[in-house]
Amino acid sequence: MNSVFTKTLRDKRGFTLGWFVGCATLAALMVAFYPSMHQEGTIDQLVNTMPEAFKGLVGDLADLAHFDTYLASQLFDIRVSLLAGIMAIILALGLSVAEEEKGQLRTLLGLPISRTALLLQKWLALTVVLFLALLGLVVAIYALQATVDASIALDAAVRLLMMTWLVLLTIATVTFAAGMATGKRAIAMVIGIIVMAGSFIVSTFGASVDWLKDFEWLSLFHYFPASEVVRNGIEGGNVIILASITLISLIVALLVFRRRDVN
Amino acid sequence: MIKSTTAIIELENVTKRYGSFAAVSDVSFVVRAGEVVGFVGENGAGKTTTITMLLGFTSPSRGSVKLFGREVRPSNAHKSHQNSSYASGDMALPEHMTGEQYIRFALNQTAGDHRKRYDELVAAFKPQLGKKIGDMSRGNKQKIALVAAFVTSPKLVVLDEPTSGLDPVMQDVFLDTVRAAAARGTTVFMSSHYLQEVAEVSTRVLLMKQGRIMEDLSAEQLAQRGGKIVTLVTRHRPTLPKDDVAEPVVTRHKERYETSFGYTGELSVLIKWLAGVTGVIDVSINDRTLEHEFRSVYESEVGNE
Repeated sequence: MNSVFTKTLRDKRGFTLGWFVGCATLAALMVAFYPSMHQEGTIDQLVNTMPEAFKGLVGDLADLAHFDTYLASQLFDIRVSLLAGIMAIILALGLSVAEEEKGQLRTLLGLPISRTALLLQKWLALTVVLFLALLGLVVAIYALQATVDASIALDAAVRLLMMTWLVLLTIATVTFAAGMATGKRAIAMVIGIIVMAGSFIVSTFGASVDWLKDFEWLSLFHYFPASEVVRNGIEGGNVIILASITLISLIVALLVFRRRDVN
Repeated sequence: MIKSTTAIIELENVTKRYGSFAAVSDVSFVVRAGEVVGFVGENGAGKTTTITMLLGFTSPSRGSVKLFGREVRPSNAHKSHQNSSYASGDMALPEHMTGEQYIRFALNQTAGDHRKRYDELVAAFKPQLGKKIGDMSRGNKQKIALVAAFVTSPKLVVLDEPTSGLDPVMQDVFLDTVRAAAARGTTVFMSSHYLQEVAEVSTRVLLMKQGRIMEDLSAEQLAQRGGKIVTLVTRHRPTLPKDDVAEPVVTRHKERYETSFGYTGELSVLIKWLAGVTGVIDVSINDRTLEHEFRSVYESEVGNE
């Protein structure tokens, strides 16, 4: 436990385990629902009774026919993005403003640790915690897929995992950056929620609401078309956009945090 | 080894503003190698604000702060922390760690082998090494913070109210630790409300009030300025000695007069004067202490307001 990175991983071990179990449980439920969801006709009738704007919550019905696209559209595209998005914001707030609110940031900065190293090591720990928590999804899918007599190719599962991780890392980094740059929980939380909830609303309802379609590019989830990731692989442009937002947020946070007063 | 003329801390016209409020106003002082400086003042005087600028947690609104000859900014403060350490009475230590884990974490940020020093400090402070910091009392957390501050034998130790939660035995251990560090050439800059402990170990005292340094006294100056504090309870209002009397205060309690004043003249003259005072009920003559100095600065202002 020599560095801020390893200290942070240790501090967050309970959080990591808890969210790993949470993600695994969610994935297990979705795997268990697969047989009833992909029976022809049953879900079609339900969707046809829904208002047009809410059909985006279900996604493309054709995706339900296959286990991999079912997981992509029903687990990774909707539920994980929302639930793990909340996890990403909580984690980012915990690693940025929470320590400063407790006065522990001053304790760390009283040691010969540069602000740059401190911020980068915390962010690195954030990336690892997020990844480990999300790993619960794939572990549960592979542990239980045999029970529903279906399977997803490992490379498709890895692609979904990596893109989910990248989208959530972007949300977490924007929130983390706001927290480190301002030291204010309210500001960081509002920014994180706007980015996540805004993206979710635009992506979910954009498919059915005409005027929202023009703003779909503003949603981070727009750059993670899960079913397409299963069918055609990861599109480099999407990775570049998400990685750029992450990198820019991190650079802005660094520039401000290196100079600002720490409470 | 650092020569005693080397400036370790240099503040030049430092002001720190929060909106329109100036927490620190135009403060300048230099602390040289080997000095043990007591930094005293009432709550809100600006002591902690000054210390946060020294450590690079905050930056001054105006003026310059230097440690080891280098301007301290939030972005480069870690460089001066290679040679300095910090502990405060309400230091927020990582609660998930045990005492030992935190001390080793702090040790791992600096170079060198500090095992001998670690053993000495653990033997002296008897900290709860195996217990989680989150489960410790305030005093035990402070012991951990103090061991971590002194364990690397830094050139400068900055302490902010370091003994506010320690029991009297541990306060003595702390004072011995400061004396030992000073004997090795460590510079100590310590804010405290306990004037007695400041007077015991400090080679110099800075007295701060309303964001300004009001007094900057070496131990010698303090001793010279010292003199006596005379307190006299009499049945009649006494006539005070003509010379060498400072800050006399006479209070009437029904049929008694309580008179106190500072006295810097010959003791024999004082005794002769006392012999001539009639209706004496009680008398005490004590050395003038830092506490009297402190009260003098604060109470004189109160009187003027």
